[in-house]
Amino acid sequence: MTTQISEVRKGEPVSSEPVIRLDHVTKHYRSGGGVTDISLSITKGEVFGFLGPNGAGKTTIIRLLLDLIRPNSGTIRLFGLDSRAESVAIRRRIGYIPGDLGLYERLTPREILSHFAYLRDKIPWSKVAPLIDELELEIDKPVRTLSKGNRQKVGLVAAFMGDPELLLLDEPTSGLDPLVQQQVHEQVRRAASEGRTVFLSSHILSEVGEMAERVGLIRAGRLVAVERVADLAQRSAHVVDITFSSPPDLNFLSSLQGLRSSSVVGNQLHAEVTGDLNPVIALIAGARITDLSIREPGLEEMFLTFYEQPHV
Amino acid sequence: MSRNRPSRNLHSIFERSMREVRRSLFGWLFGIGGFSLIMLSIYPTIHGNAGFAQLLNAYPEALRKLFDVSNYTTGPGYLRTEVFSFMAPLLLAIFAILWGADLTAGEEERHTIDTLLAAPISRQRVVVEKWLALVLGIASLAVALEVLLGAVGPLFKLHVGWAPLSAAIIGSALFALAFGTLSMAIGAGTGSRGFARGVSAAIAVAMYLVSTLSQLVEWLKPWRWTSLWYHTLGIDPLRNGFEGGHLLVMVACVAILVVAAVVLFTRRDFSN
Repeated sequence: MTTQISEVRKGEPVSSEPVIRLDHVTKHYRSGGGVTDISLSITKGEVFGFLGPNGAGKTTIIRLLLDLIRPNSGTIRLFGLDSRAESVAIRRRIGYIPGDLGLYERLTPREILSHFAYLRDKIPWSKVAPLIDELELEIDKPVRTLSKGNRQKVGLVAAFMGDPELLLLDEPTSGLDPLVQQQVHEQVRRAASEGRTVFLSSHILSEVGEMAERVGLIRAGRLVAVERVADLAQRSAHVVDITFSSPPDLNFLSSLQGLRSSSVVGNQLHAEVTGDLNPVIALIAGARITDLSIREPGLEEMFLTFYEQPHV
Repeated sequence: MSRNRPSRNLHSIFERSMREVRRSLFGWLFGIGGFSLIMLSIYPTIHGNAGFAQLLNAYPEALRKLFDVSNYTTGPGYLRTEVFSFMAPLLLAIFAILWGADLTAGEEERHTIDTLLAAPISRQRVVVEKWLALVLGIASLAVALEVLLGAVGPLFKLHVGWAPLSAAIIGSALFALAFGTLSMAIGAGTGSRGFARGVSAAIAVAMYLVSTLSQLVEWLKPWRWTSLWYHTLGIDPLRNGFEGGHLLVMVACVAILVVAAVVLFTRRDFSN
């Protein structure tokens, strides 16, 4: 599936090349797994969320973009450049946090960050220090003594230093406490507000929904859907949970328009309804109920409604 | 220290590699220094000891050749037998093989390779800088050996010319460098430290045996040129000094191995 966004933001020059463009990319590992026939493009300034269970191929795609691995077929272009032949020029413009962040255990964050600032075209320390202050990172203890959260902060500073045009964040918040998660979200939001492009992977749907404008769903190595989060919300069903005082008469359900699914357990009815909710209200008006909730679905439920897959 | 300053001496991959090996390298310097001092402290009891010479001459020829005991009671003869027939080149080679694999495969096993290769640097540069660190690591052990045996040796009545000593030490260092580079290359190609170290060590031992046994086993003699041990220590550098042809063979071998490491690393899929 190819998704093209032709929207042009006001005041920005029209760029013919998307920041990321994959055309029919396939990468299979000898040990099994990988991705099949992925086509996708992402425009400048977009926050794109990549969603799928562990092992679905999210990391594979990010590694392909960085030329850590090479595709079996298909082409990958970033900033209009070839991902293999011009990889160094591409990586000059990318900040990256790997899903499985490894740090040099014997070194201190100061040493590690000095190293990466130097490797990334000698980013001046004056651009690194504010990030360290902001994340309140202790930089003179050996990395092996740091907590998971502080280690990830080292990775965050390394990725965000020098304000790269494209951020590739592979599961950037997994295993972090909520405070650090918030700091990650904050950094992503700021990057987005500055017009930089963010490509973010996660298996946590709510997180992607909160940060991303567009979401791609990957399952077993295939990109099964790409949707705008706003569109999904508009088209999605409301979740209605009603607890009756006695087992409900199910007949009234058959006349309900926009009913997508329903189930009854004891006195409880669980239903998903699209469109107008007034008929639901009218139908239960005469019944004796003890509890009622109608809520907007989470991103997970939205996807489930649209693609009717057994699980995400 | 203020947050407003980067680390003063840690920038390039070369510098970072040296920083990471620093503590281990001190350990090796200490070990090789201790070994040299023990060997030197024993020498005065052997120096010019006619009884020893007689005893050794009574050994069967096979043993004398295998352990290289000719002129054992002289400085060069003693060093050849006790230091350069086995131990010193072996220690240097073990250091090089262990670290060589770590420089490539170790970085992959610890998952630090992802962020490193996401930086705007070519893979060639990564390998070359790491290899230069390996050269400096081996060189510092070699210099320690040279200083101890050449400058401290005379205090223990051990006299050996600087030229033959340097030839033996450079031979040992080149042998170690070749296998350290091989270990790097296999590590780069496979991502497994254990495999790289095992294969490199096995080949190093095989080459040592081919060179040493070729003095005893007639049919091995035509094959000794295949052994890098032969080109470095088998040619008896303590007696014969530098030999251009053999030096050239070693330089060529190391160059080929560096290219192999670069090619293997550049082609790799780092798939976690």
